[in-house]
Amino acid sequence: MIRIENLTFKYRNSKKNALENIDLSIEDGDFIGIIGKSGAGKSTLTYVINGIIPHHYQGDYYGSVKIDGDDTFDKTPSELSLKIGSVLQDIDSQMVSSVVEDEILYGLENFSIPKDEVEPRLSSSLKELGISSLRYRTIDSLSGGQKQKVAIAAILALRPKMLLLDEPTSELDPKSSVQIFQLLRDLNKKHGITIIVVEQKIMLLSEFAEKLVVMSEGKIVFNGKVRDVMKHSSELERIGINCPRVVTLSNRLIDRGVDIGKVCINLDEAEAMARGLIHG
Amino acid sequence: MKGFLDYVPGNSFLHKLNPLTKLVLSLMICVACFISENHLLLVAIILLNLAIAKAAGILPRGLMLLKGLTKISLVIFLLQLLFIRGGDILITLPLNLLITERGVAMAFVIVFRLIGATMPLALMLSITQMNDLSNVLVTKLKIPYKYAFTLTTAMRFIPIFANEMSGIIEAQASRGVELDTRNIFKKIKFVLPLCVPLLITSVKKIEGSAISAEIRGFHLRTRESCYKGYPIKKSDVGVMFFSAFLVFSAIIVSGA
Ligand SMILES: Nc1ncnc2c1ncn2[C@@H]1O[C@H](COP(=O)(O)OP(=O)(O)O)[C@@H](O)[C@H]1O
Ligand SMILES: [Mg+2]
Repeated sequence: MIRIENLTFKYRNSKKNALENIDLSIEDGDFIGIIGKSGAGKSTLTYVINGIIPHHYQGDYYGSVKIDGDDTFDKTPSELSLKIGSVLQDIDSQMVSSVVEDEILYGLENFSIPKDEVEPRLSSSLKELGISSLRYRTIDSLSGGQKQKVAIAAILALRPKMLLLDEPTSELDPKSSVQIFQLLRDLNKKHGITIIVVEQKIMLLSEFAEKLVVMSEGKIVFNGKVRDVMKHSSELERIGINCPRVVTLSNRLIDRGVDIGKVCINLDEAEAMARGLIHG
Repeated sequence: MKGFLDYVPGNSFLHKLNPLTKLVLSLMICVACFISENHLLLVAIILLNLAIAKAAGILPRGLMLLKGLTKISLVIFLLQLLFIRGGDILITLPLNLLITERGVAMAFVIVFRLIGATMPLALMLSITQMNDLSNVLVTKLKIPYKYAFTLTTAMRFIPIFANEMSGIIEAQASRGVELDTRNIFKKIKFVLPLCVPLLITSVKKIEGSAISAEIRGFHLRTRESCYKGYPIKKSDVGVMFFSAFLVFSAIIVSGA
């Protein structure tokens, strides 16, 4: 459970607030997507959750962030990492090893996972991301997408109860992106892991996430069920977020008084709506 | 100088040695170089370095290193040649410059030393994974993990830094900036301004690595955390003895 209360943060050496009056509650088992233009403060929001702010980046900090009741000021990022696994946006600097196997081992070692549990965790996390064949490859030799999968595998192996991912599919092709989100949904549904994912591809979020947080200029402008947020497609467009076509289409129909019940957020729903309109 | 330190995977006898052994071997080769003033021994050490490269399957890199170092050595050689004086005068040059017997001998010693002592470290880093190195530093030499991590992270970034550097130089060259000039001062004048942004991105990257380590439990790590064992095997003992023998022979030869 994460509680962010009235949080304002300004990086040192920066003129404007990176985050402004943020109030956000995340419950255990949530699947939350965070979206917003570049520079909106998404990454900064992930930093205040995993403790990189205030422990690594300093600045003016007002308000509080609590993880399961503990203030992030009182816990080091390492201690917080026992609960929250983070995948950072910059994949290259994220690697601490030269070989894939060691990259996965790194966190397991730090967490002092019992020796007999290490190998099963290592191989299963590689398998879950479909990269078992990369185990002995050097990190330098991997593509951006492969590195992204390694970074996710390294965090999965730690089995955190919350996962925080900053644009985890930015280097991936559409097919792999969907696979990653399917994996996230699996983790969320089967193991109850809380998922918080920053993602630019709104199609993926509307398909997989349950809730959506929309950020603009350091503020949260919308926060709620994906469908409820999607009702505001014209406002979203204004702050640089292009909703999926089906969303804009169904919103327009609703505006014109056509009774379609609810906003369609994916193709299946749009198809059902179209059938309903034709037959009804 | 592209790709001269990054890890080259392999299965050779040398790859399989304990990282500590590799560290000892390369340091002892350096020590032997600095003790010895004997040309023959120094040349033998350079050949030994090449043999090590060959055995580790990285001979091309060994030769590349040798070539690079020889180029650098040329300047040093000339300086030493002119400034060290002693023994018979071989050639008298204008501007009161002399080339002496001792100047020639010492210039060779210094250049051979430089080459012989730089190669083993670079070769060792090419066949040792940084994680393994930091793990033995922590478990065997009892160095605090914080320092081991800093050291190995910095080393890991040297090849990345070099790659980016050559990337920038190529980009500049393709835009018509003349970097292939023979004039070393001109070259420095071109390259220095390019270094600054590179330095900034590198510092950012190292910072990123530190953050990443931190959110993966860096501060929770203890000496017992290390998963892989790093036993000292018979082959390690053998190589350590060989290293000692090398230093010993350097002492004997220079004492004689
Ligand atoms: N380390 C930093 N120091 C100073 N300002 C920063 C730093 N990181 C980000 N910012 C600024 O904070 C704002 C939000 O950035 P960020 O959280 O990275 O946005 P996003 O992830 O949505 O693209 C931007 O204006 C950015 O320039
Ligand atoms: Mg970002």
